[in-house]
Amino acid sequence: MRRIASLFIFALILSLFSTSVVLGQVQTRVRVIEASNVGSSIDSSLRDVHGQLGSLFSFSSYRLLKDETVTLSPNQPISVPVHPGRSLEVTLIKQQRDTAEVRVKIKREGTDILNTQVRLSPGRTVSIGGPKHGEGTLLIVLSRL
Amino acid sequence: MNHRCSSVSNLLEKYFDQEVTDDERTLVEGHLPDCPACRETLHSMERVRNLIQSPVEEAVETENFPWVWQKIEREIRLKEKPTLWESFRSWLDITPLFKRRVLIPAVVAIAILVFVATPLLFKKSTSYPGPSVVEYVESQTYNVMVYQLEDSKGTVIWLFEGPEKEISRS
Repeated sequence: MRRIASLFIFALILSLFSTSVVLGQVQTRVRVIEASNVGSSIDSSLRDVHGQLGSLFSFSSYRLLKDETVTLSPNQPISVPVHPGRSLEVTLIKQQRDTAEVRVKIKREGTDILNTQVRLSPGRTVSIGGPKHGEGTLLIVLSRL
Repeated sequence: MNHRCSSVSNLLEKYFDQEVTDDERTLVEGHLPDCPACRETLHSMERVRNLIQSPVEEAVETENFPWVWQKIEREIRLKEKPTLWESFRSWLDITPLFKRRVLIPAVVAIAILVFVATPLLFKKSTSYPGPSVVEYVESQTYNVMVYQLEDSKGTVIWLFEGPEKEISRS
């Protein structure tokens, strides 16, 4: 009986630790989009992005290039290739309740072309745009799940 | 003879209660006609029985047993239900998992859990209300502009790779 009790306590403590580990992680959705004025097609999954950015930019076409959900752990950079020669590096700096502080780097051929730190909250997005992509412009939309 | 009387007198009570064997009955019934003392003992027993039996039979005749039973049933139904704590205690008594050897470590484990989890649950939040905020932004190569969208649901960081490529309405 004592052995069972010890196992019970061990399992409880283990589950406690695993819970805290899971709590320290943040799931972030990364969408890479090509926005352009060529054509007028908007991917159905990008209606929300068009709705948001439509007030700011007059792109007529939004094409989804990549939709990826990454699980961020504190201080562990995750790299997402976004374009030949370019990559996005996302690192969770800290997490406080529903806000995650994330460092975002865009690299071109190994060199940082953008280094920023943003706070991500559920339901809100941070978009990074501007780099040229084909006939359009590259947009990277980050949102916390 | 005396010895025989002594043996029979020991059997008289059983004989009276009709609990003797056939042999014992034969022995007693063979002895009784010759022994006034044993007969008298037997008669005494009969008198005592009659003395007790009559009032009991009278009481049985006068007593209303269905009514008594109804009363008992009502009392059982009205018997106070055990409190929640009593129910819990009785449940603990019948649940081997919560016997003392397990209960104490379990309580300790729960205490540890509460101790560790409480700061997480009641940690003062320094969450930032409002939209996602850009802490800082830097680029060695390009000019950068930060836009806050009108609906406050988004923030845009824009890199100016070429001044002619970005079209802004705002």
